[in-house]
Amino acid sequence: MLAAAVAVPAAAQQAVPVIAVPPLSSPADKQTSAGSTLAIAWQATELIAQDLRTTSEVLALPPNQQKDFYSYPEVTAPTFSRWRAKGAKALLTGFVQARPDGRLAVGCYVYDTEKGTELGRTGFVVAPDDWRRAAHKCSGLAYKSLTGAPGIFDTRIAYVARTGFGTAQSSRIATMDSDGLNHSYVTPPDGLVTTPRLSPDGERLAYVSFSGGQPHILVRDLDSNEERPLAGTSLPSFSPRFSPDGNRVVFSMTNGGNTDIYVTGATGGYPQRLTTSPGIDTSPSFSPDGRSILFESDRSGTQQLYVMSADGSNQRRISFGGGWYAAPEWSPDGEMIAFTSRGNDGLRVGIMKADGTDARVLTSGPRDEGANWAASSRELIFQRVDVAGRPGIYRVTLSGGEPRKVTVPQDAADPDWSGARE
Amino acid sequence: MTRPPVFLAAVGLLIGAEASAQLRVPPVVQRVLPGRQPAQPVLVGIDALRADFLARTGGNTVYFAGDSFGLVPAAKTNLTAQAQWLRQHPEVVVSIEGHASPLDTRDHALALGARRAQEVRDFLVLMGVPAAQLTAVSLGKERPVGANSRVETILVR
Repeated sequence: MLAAAVAVPAAAQQAVPVIAVPPLSSPADKQTSAGSTLAIAWQATELIAQDLRTTSEVLALPPNQQKDFYSYPEVTAPTFSRWRAKGAKALLTGFVQARPDGRLAVGCYVYDTEKGTELGRTGFVVAPDDWRRAAHKCSGLAYKSLTGAPGIFDTRIAYVARTGFGTAQSSRIATMDSDGLNHSYVTPPDGLVTTPRLSPDGERLAYVSFSGGQPHILVRDLDSNEERPLAGTSLPSFSPRFSPDGNRVVFSMTNGGNTDIYVTGATGGYPQRLTTSPGIDTSPSFSPDGRSILFESDRSGTQQLYVMSADGSNQRRISFGGGWYAAPEWSPDGEMIAFTSRGNDGLRVGIMKADGTDARVLTSGPRDEGANWAASSRELIFQRVDVAGRPGIYRVTLSGGEPRKVTVPQDAADPDWSGARE
Repeated sequence: MTRPPVFLAAVGLLIGAEASAQLRVPPVVQRVLPGRQPAQPVLVGIDALRADFLARTGGNTVYFAGDSFGLVPAAKTNLTAQAQWLRQHPEVVVSIEGHASPLDTRDHALALGARRAQEVRDFLVLMGVPAAQLTAVSLGKERPVGANSRVETILVR
């Protein structure tokens, strides 16, 4: 396991920055309600290394509890040559300290070992049981220091958990941390639900329920578990997505068989109609600045991607590559659009520049769809139905490579990924 | 899981019945055990109505080509028979369920299912069925069976 983790191809070693993650230190090994501070420090170190290994853009050297020891004063005054000699361009140090009030102080520092300079630091005071979140924040600091993009380690994933097949299928919404922990079911079993969409802060959830027959959007507060219909209407509504500030929801509504795009306040209000084409306009997604909305429409005869101003004006087509394009989502950094390409050979996930150029497919299909961005804008989560007909959720990085399946307790579909939490 | 087996069983029953004689009503309605109240007569009623609807209309499902929502001639023939039956049973409320293919994308499939259900509803209204009897809904690609570009007419009550 150790050897496998170290033995990366030479080409990857050049391209991917290597960071040393020696065990976090502690000024004094004291007992807390979550174990001793040195035991927590070691678990946090392993978690940070594991977080960074889930990305393909940072290579974390496997931490060694015996050989990599450093003293508490060395947290802020490391011997850079020691880590340079191990091939590390960067170094993460940190500490876990028991406070008199029973809480933990967790601090992390990231250094450039070649220049001998500090790249960033972060620190938290948390309840002992919350050390994992602090460790995720350290992972995020390391990732951002080396790649420039926000980390995804303290984010939430929502998806549709499925049991049964065909007409016996039932589904419920589940949420979990991006590393798979804190998995919980949000809606009751034996329902029929789809399209969970997290608010940017991960605290609210919009989703589609078929209870009562018609698909309709519900908005739920994940803390209080209170929920209410988004639009006070009996018309079918679906395809919800929050605005970047979390105050509005853009969605599709069907009237007399015609589906258009509407926007309304996330806590209610009269829906404002944004499109009027006789075709199917759906899958809307706000730009990160909230000024534009990306969507798909079959008004030209095939599904294509369009952009409009947030008030519905200035609608223009942006996909011209041939083939069909669906389910677009704007990347959090505003640079790219993820989409589902639809062709005779099935469904695949791809990306293009925000102006619609340079479209390329990232996955092999034949039934991959519904891509949503990680907060880093460097990775996508999507649904794949495998050869046996079982749906699962997968992650794929923009740099390519095989998608990796996300482990969940049952069949899974239609994933969404929150932004980085404060 | 309950719906298709019930339909298949009912179709088989009625095909058999029609071949042998002209048994117009499925036997479940007539079977009342001596000394006992018939259990849930409403449920027995809807099952009988559904079986009769299937037998007299030739099926409760119409199919569509590819991504289209236009009614093909075979669908219109079937829906004309459905409309005739529904006009004779004005007390029956139906749900018209539109579906789309798993190879469609999720949101578009929901919209396409709604469009197809609306086409069927409009045709039935054109054929004289009171609109109040009909509700069009879409299940998109969430209830896949064999052929998914379809609209099912489900007798609710």
